[in-house]
Amino acid sequence: MTETQESGWNRRDFIGGAALLALALGVPLAAVRMSSLDPADAPTEAQRGLLREVSQLVLPRTGTPGAGEVGVGDFVALALAHGLEKSRQPLDDNADPRLLRFRRGDGSLDHVTWLAAELERRAGMDFLMAASDARVAALTALDAEAFGPEAKTHPWRTLKALILTGYYTSEVGGAQELRFELVPGRFDPDLPLQPGDRAWSSDWTAVDFG
Amino acid sequence: MQFDAIVVGSGITGGWAAKELTEAGLKVLMIERGREIRHQQDYATEMKAPWEMPWRGAGDAELYAREYPVQMLNRHFTEYTEGHFVNDAQNPYAKAAGTDFNWFRSYQLGGRSLTWGRQCYRWSDYDFGANQRDGHGTDWPIRYADLAPWYDKVEDFVGISGAAEGLPQLPDGRFQPPMALNVVEEHARAAIRAKWPERCLTVGRTANLTEAKDGRGKCQNRSICARGCSYGAYFSTQSSTLPAAMKTGRLTVITDAVVEAVDYDPVTRRVTGVRYVDTRTRQRRSATARLVFLNAGAFNSVQVLLNSASEAMPGGLANSSGVLGTHIMDHANTLSAMALMPGFEGRTTFGNRPTGVVVARYRNLDVMDGVGHTRGFSFQGGALQSTWSAGKREAGIGADYKDKLRSPGMWRMVLVGFAECLPRARNRLTLDPARKDANGLPLLRIDFAFGPEEQAALAQAKADAADMLGAAGGKVLMGFDRPGAGGTAIHEMGGARMGHDPSTSVLNKWSQAHDVPNLFVTDGAQMSSSACQNPSLTYMALTARACAAAVSMLREGKL
Repeated sequence: MTETQESGWNRRDFIGGAALLALALGVPLAAVRMSSLDPADAPTEAQRGLLREVSQLVLPRTGTPGAGEVGVGDFVALALAHGLEKSRQPLDDNADPRLLRFRRGDGSLDHVTWLAAELERRAGMDFLMAASDARVAALTALDAEAFGPEAKTHPWRTLKALILTGYYTSEVGGAQELRFELVPGRFDPDLPLQPGDRAWSSDWTAVDFG
Repeated sequence: MQFDAIVVGSGITGGWAAKELTEAGLKVLMIERGREIRHQQDYATEMKAPWEMPWRGAGDAELYAREYPVQMLNRHFTEYTEGHFVNDAQNPYAKAAGTDFNWFRSYQLGGRSLTWGRQCYRWSDYDFGANQRDGHGTDWPIRYADLAPWYDKVEDFVGISGAAEGLPQLPDGRFQPPMALNVVEEHARAAIRAKWPERCLTVGRTANLTEAKDGRGKCQNRSICARGCSYGAYFSTQSSTLPAAMKTGRLTVITDAVVEAVDYDPVTRRVTGVRYVDTRTRQRRSATARLVFLNAGAFNSVQVLLNSASEAMPGGLANSSGVLGTHIMDHANTLSAMALMPGFEGRTTFGNRPTGVVVARYRNLDVMDGVGHTRGFSFQGGALQSTWSAGKREAGIGADYKDKLRSPGMWRMVLVGFAECLPRARNRLTLDPARKDANGLPLLRIDFAFGPEEQAALAQAKADAADMLGAAGGKVLMGFDRPGAGGTAIHEMGGARMGHDPSTSVLNKWSQAHDVPNLFVTDGAQMSSSACQNPSLTYMALTARACAAAVSMLREGKL
């Protein structure tokens, strides 16, 4: 995907997510179902930039492109608007006040605004303006807190789950970083596993059960 | 339209009825309420990769919450398969207060034969004798010997891969070569057998071909069956029974037509045909026949019978006993144990096996050793390696984290308990007195709860599952002993039970209505008990047996 392709974003199109999907995921417009989303759910350019950068920090370029590079930021924005990973379930009234500040009209958490504020707080400045190692440090700290012993649910877990889904179901993540074989043709029940052997993204049961 | 027989429904048993009746020379009309789906032409997502799907295979959660809130809970429901499940918003059902029941449905040509789990197990006399032994429900009017030749017949046609184990409680069938246990399951089988010789872990007996037959290809180990399989490698109406029935030249299929009622003539005491609604135009139509087979799926066959009440039969067709709609069942089902299986880090597999493993029932056979229950439970499950999705639960960001997710992860093993459900009069189906669906048919109302016996069985299953995985070297991470909502096992059955006595049952031993000789119900509605095995193979054998009986009665002028 090129930067030029990513630029065709406008709020009206986002109502159905149609333009975003067509551009970011390369699927035909006709395949996208329209729905009744609030245009206010469309992220700003700054938020898109943040999601792209955060995706890239979680899954950076190694031997294969990173998550930000393959459009995962936009996938996360759309997935949040549509409630994947239960991201539009209402917050409990007793939730952490730091989360309640970012409650949407429907009671759910505005994950993107929360994330921007959280990372800005940790970086001590606009996250995207911070130095590279400061960004890594801020996100690492947030990640450690979210998966710490006292955290049961955490909005970062939701965001991270969507970043993983976006990446490993992309062609780069599913077929370059991992291996993909839609028609294996046989079942080998016991093979040696060498260090560095890549997993099969087409092992649907493994994906389902994690 | 005049036919020899009308078959209502085109799923697993409807397909069998159409095949058997047409092959016996009858002119048959099969009526399906859902849309047509053509084999090898209409499996639209079959070959799609995740990146070719609008929602990457995960589906649009907003759409699902609005229109598929029940179906989305089905493990086989994905963005790829959503078109093979009903839209809940358009297909409502009613529940009694306090009832938690997820009714998973597929209204389409082929019905749930397209989306089923394909597990095929014979029942034994521990099952057919269960009601008589402990007094729950009514005695089955048949035993294993009545059904064994029909199991042979349907297995030969379906094509079932499985391993013969010589277990009296899970009789061997006529199998194609089994699929292999993976390295961890093979180890677990041996470890469990060493400690408990009576407990047998074997590979699932599944309606996936390991050898090509009858123009159908062998399984390609994709394990995405519910998308539809153009290889024809799993048994479905489309791959198997429908082509056989069409080949006779005697089958007519109508889709998008929901049967409203079966017509009954009080003078001849026979049914004369069916009335149905064209779901696209809402026009009312009818067809007549010399005999009627109900194969609409257990609950919908009961719905048709209840909705066929007439002046002569005010409580519903074939309901002189008053038990129509009662004694419905579903297996009580939960994840009994999940364990990490260390020691196999250097091993992996290739390809996707479209079945798990089964641990055959071992409780309450010749020794009553169930704690708080008198029936059986069994396990299904398997060992698997985790993959990238495990990263959702793990701390880490950056290149090391990404590299870790690149390789297959830890081996784990799961055992899911299936406990037999007692037949109870209070678990029943009725017609909602007020609410109707878009076709003007009264909603079916489900009143269902599991009882203390199922809960006791799942408690014992949880303890046993942890013991077995522990014996196999596993570190148990979790386990549950409360059943999921009713319907979770997708084995809902009963409502028009078989029995010896017309005053306490709806059907006789030929799946034939006691009250109406030319009316047969051969889907899950006929079941008098639930066993703890998957029931579809038994429905198929009973259907083939009922068809043969019906044809011979017809020829003898008894219908």
